[in-house]
Amino acid sequence: MDSVSDAAPRERGSFALRSRSKHADLQRHVISFGRELRTRELLSTSTEIVDALRVMEQVDIADRRDVYLGMRTVFLSKPEDRPIFDEVFNQFWRRIAHIGEVDDPNSDDEMTAQGDEGGELQEGGEAQQQLRLTSPEGEGGEGDEEGDEEALPLYSPVEMLASKDFSRFQAEEMTEIARAVLVIAKRLATKESRRFRVSRKGSTIDARRTMRRNMKYGGTIIELAKKRKKIRKPRLVVICDVSRSMDTYSKFLLQFIHAMQNTIGKVESFVFSTSLTRVTEYFRNEEILEALDRIAREVHDWSGGTRIGQSLTTFNEKWAKKLVDRHTIVLILSDGLDTGDAEILRQAMEGLQERSGKVIWLNPLLGSKDYRPLARGMSTALEHIDVFAPAHNLASLADLSKHLAV
Amino acid sequence: MIEGIGRIQDMMERQSYITDRAIATTAFLAMELRKPVLIEGQAGVGKTEIAKVLSAALDTELIRLQCYEGLDVNTALYEWNYPKQMLRIKIDEGAGASADEQEAHIFSDEFLLKRPLLRAISAKEKSPVLLIDEVDRADEEFEAFLLEVLSDFQVTIPELGTIQSQHRPYVVLTSNRTRELSDALKRRCLYLWIDYPTFDKELRIITTKVPNINERLARQVAAFMQVIRNVKLNKTPGVAETLDWAMSMMALHQEHLDPEAVRETLGAFIKDRDDVSKLRGKPLDVMLGSMNGAEEEDLNEWIQSVTQRLEREVASR
Repeated sequence: MDSVSDAAPRERGSFALRSRSKHADLQRHVISFGRELRTRELLSTSTEIVDALRVMEQVDIADRRDVYLGMRTVFLSKPEDRPIFDEVFNQFWRRIAHIGEVDDPNSDDEMTAQGDEGGELQEGGEAQQQLRLTSPEGEGGEGDEEGDEEALPLYSPVEMLASKDFSRFQAEEMTEIARAVLVIAKRLATKESRRFRVSRKGSTIDARRTMRRNMKYGGTIIELAKKRKKIRKPRLVVICDVSRSMDTYSKFLLQFIHAMQNTIGKVESFVFSTSLTRVTEYFRNEEILEALDRIAREVHDWSGGTRIGQSLTTFNEKWAKKLVDRHTIVLILSDGLDTGDAEILRQAMEGLQERSGKVIWLNPLLGSKDYRPLARGMSTALEHIDVFAPAHNLASLADLSKHLAV
Repeated sequence: MIEGIGRIQDMMERQSYITDRAIATTAFLAMELRKPVLIEGQAGVGKTEIAKVLSAALDTELIRLQCYEGLDVNTALYEWNYPKQMLRIKIDEGAGASADEQEAHIFSDEFLLKRPLLRAISAKEKSPVLLIDEVDRADEEFEAFLLEVLSDFQVTIPELGTIQSQHRPYVVLTSNRTRELSDALKRRCLYLWIDYPTFDKELRIITTKVPNINERLARQVAAFMQVIRNVKLNKTPGVAETLDWAMSMMALHQEHLDPEAVRETLGAFIKDRDDVSKLRGKPLDVMLGSMNGAEEEDLNEWIQSVTQRLEREVASR
């Protein structure tokens, strides 16, 4: 079926722009059309609006199909936005359709587009699980530990508005983490790219620079200019679970993320519980305590239930295209206790793996000898994970460096 | 101006490129507004073809830059011809030219290897079509560089100075969307998304590109492709596959889709092992068994019902 004629049936009018005021009218509508698209998150800046105005001069503005196709060419920049575009276009068309009509008392019904972000409803949670496992280090944070047995907090499907107290931080803990991160950072920085840069110690001759440099010797090659492959750092995206079942670890893991972000550079970080929040900005150049404070204050479903599948789907839809490519390592920190639909999680993981260089899932529960990844969410996710490793103490985080190459 | 769009469409169809209003509108606006066009779509929907057809229709040169990971400025823009420079120096050794004179000589136009971007910018006669293919495969650094070139259409070569484009190229970029391109680049371009063709469009493509094919076979092939694209496959066949297949059927002197022949030629349009084993056997029989329906029933209904049965069959495996 022809998608074009379908979305915009040909409606020919028989009018032309007769006066300046009508022209101005049209201009105004195009501008507000562009603005409306921007509020709906399409790529619409002044450049697009100027282009749109130029397009309107090129097409027959009485021909709905041509106006539609022309506007789409300017304002659309990915196919997923098409439904939104079509909707906003229809309103736009309704507004401009009367412009050319000779006498038009037609009041155009002004439409305010409201995003239909109906509050996401919580799925009712079922059976709660009680898990026992060897606890990771307690508040002390020594390198190796043999912790005492304690019951893990339950995961809860209820979103909670709670704030966390991060005040009990210990200095040695921070240094330890920083050290582990340094090891990781070093490992990350050794990936060669196929691009070259000039270097005295390089192994490949840079013919161009050699020629230039030796012109002063009449072209006899005396000095060699060399180049070597540029080091390319893979990008790291960290997605950390801060739901209630992760309480014991999340503070520690967030410190780890903070340290990584400030050591390695290209790190993007997100936290989720029932929904996903980007926290890269919070960690940037901020004191760890301040950053954690801000996150605790501003991330609303802190320590709530877990919907990994939903959160990762959001990530795939909103962020993955921008942040993830074949040179990106995606690091997920979660216990995999999901209250959502396992199929959603599986699909999200599949999408993530397809797009990225590597998917690493660190699961604090793996630190326990008795743990088997049987929780529904975890077991479905497993087939789309490249590295599945523990993350309950510093040693396990330092181990991470082994896996950090794409 | 409405004739403009129609004219472009005619122009493209004269090059045996079956197009639709959306493609023609974008091509028209690209020429009128002198903006690059970014074309996205699945593999095999004819993105690259648009640039080729445009250059043929405009009777101008097509300059192609194939992008890949690690593509750098030297490969895309220019490089000096070092062996030639070296030889020149050797030849001139006794001539007593000063180092400065020598340098000026060997860093002149004669020793410059023009790569696609520079060729496009320095076109002498008329605006060429510059095709920047699979731009999503190049890395972001290169994308940033490209952005610079596309906004100024001038480049500076330290040894030669600045070269400003006399005839601004028509630029077509294609992307398979393996990664999202930067907003800055998208803002620079008009945008066109190409979908798999509709039944009617594909039928026209087949009859145009495969001369002498009989109407019945062409319709069956087109209908078959509509269904097969609805099934979740690793590699969904594109238009090129349709044409390959239609041609192999012709080579086998087939008048219509006969099950035996389809099985033999499956490789012409299903190019993934898993997909082949997914379809082989019963699913294929389901489709072929109802092939006659494609000619008798309402086509859309037929496509839907066969797709459903096929999906059930594939899922049950």
